[in-house]
Amino acid sequence: MKGRHHLDPATLVSRAAGALSPETIAVVDTHLEGCSACRQQLATAEHVGGILLAQQRPSIDTERLHHRRDALRDRLGLHTMRRCNPATEVSSFRDTPNPLPRPLWPYFCKDWSMLRWRWVAPGVHLIRAPAPSGARLILLKIAPGKSMPMHGHTGSELTQVLQGAYHDVMGQFAAGDIADLGNDVEHQPIASIDRPCICVSVLDGPLRFHGWVARALQYWTGL
Amino acid sequence: MAEELTQEALLRIWQHADRFDPTRSSLSTWIFRIARNLYIDRLRREHSPGGNASVWPVHPAEGMDDPYFTAAESYVAHVDLKERIDRLPALQARLIRMSYLEAKSHRQIAEEVGMPLGTVKSLIRRAFLRLQTTVQEPA
Repeated sequence: MKGRHHLDPATLVSRAAGALSPETIAVVDTHLEGCSACRQQLATAEHVGGILLAQQRPSIDTERLHHRRDALRDRLGLHTMRRCNPATEVSSFRDTPNPLPRPLWPYFCKDWSMLRWRWVAPGVHLIRAPAPSGARLILLKIAPGKSMPMHGHTGSELTQVLQGAYHDVMGQFAAGDIADLGNDVEHQPIASIDRPCICVSVLDGPLRFHGWVARALQYWTGL
Repeated sequence: MAEELTQEALLRIWQHADRFDPTRSSLSTWIFRIARNLYIDRLRREHSPGGNASVWPVHPAEGMDDPYFTAAESYVAHVDLKERIDRLPALQARLIRMSYLEAKSHRQIAEEVGMPLGTVKSLIRRAFLRLQTTVQEPA
């Protein structure tokens, strides 16, 4: 997958800094898996982090330092070198004939065939993952030619296209593209007519719908 | 929590010292990634008590033989980047440090400094682009 829409550099800084929720990281990393341009930017952002870390002056409390050093020595004596078992990882992936992107596994499932879609509107299905951080993490499937209701945002939205394509005021988004939107954007994604569009989205605030039907759906779906 | 994570990071660095490859990144970047990944792993555990930790994916640049993670950091680029960081405008430098050193989200930063969320994102974006232009080198 080679995308044309990329992560906002400010989002990459937050990813490098560890300042995103675990659910947002899942969507960002799904994009990174297929986008070498964003991985390159992430490497640069991590380089910045390394320099900032090296510039930090340690706060020294001699007594605590000695205590921590002794504790670390004890742990070094107890631990042996740990190695992951690549064979386990490979076989796990092979057992999954049609896998979802790996960063999404903890929230949904490993294989597309295991997904249980929930109807929410004509032509629109979704699966909402449990997200203890408070973010809203959803898989969304829009039938060919169908659309989401027009909506705005009270926070940011990240939407990674996994299959198919959609278009809105921001442009055309195909598989591998990510929409990194702020709270100033109002849009109505419309799926392309040739196949369903499947996306994973994370929202850090509720959507703003205009019509009463859409608001009723919002109440039902928690979006 | 910070002290525990520091200790965990030191332990991880000691255990995996043989994996450090100076042709892939500088030592400070490698240590930063380890500490950052441990912090994220801790957040994930706290947010999914009893969850199956084995399904968590590796972080980018771990287990990924990616040329972009091998050619990004020459010594010249490293020194240049340090100088650029020191020359960032004060406000941009403050926001960048709040991101990296306090792991604050854009929303948290906006609330703390009393600025609109979009302005905070814009300033961080501009700061990073200002730094980035000097670091990228032909592979």
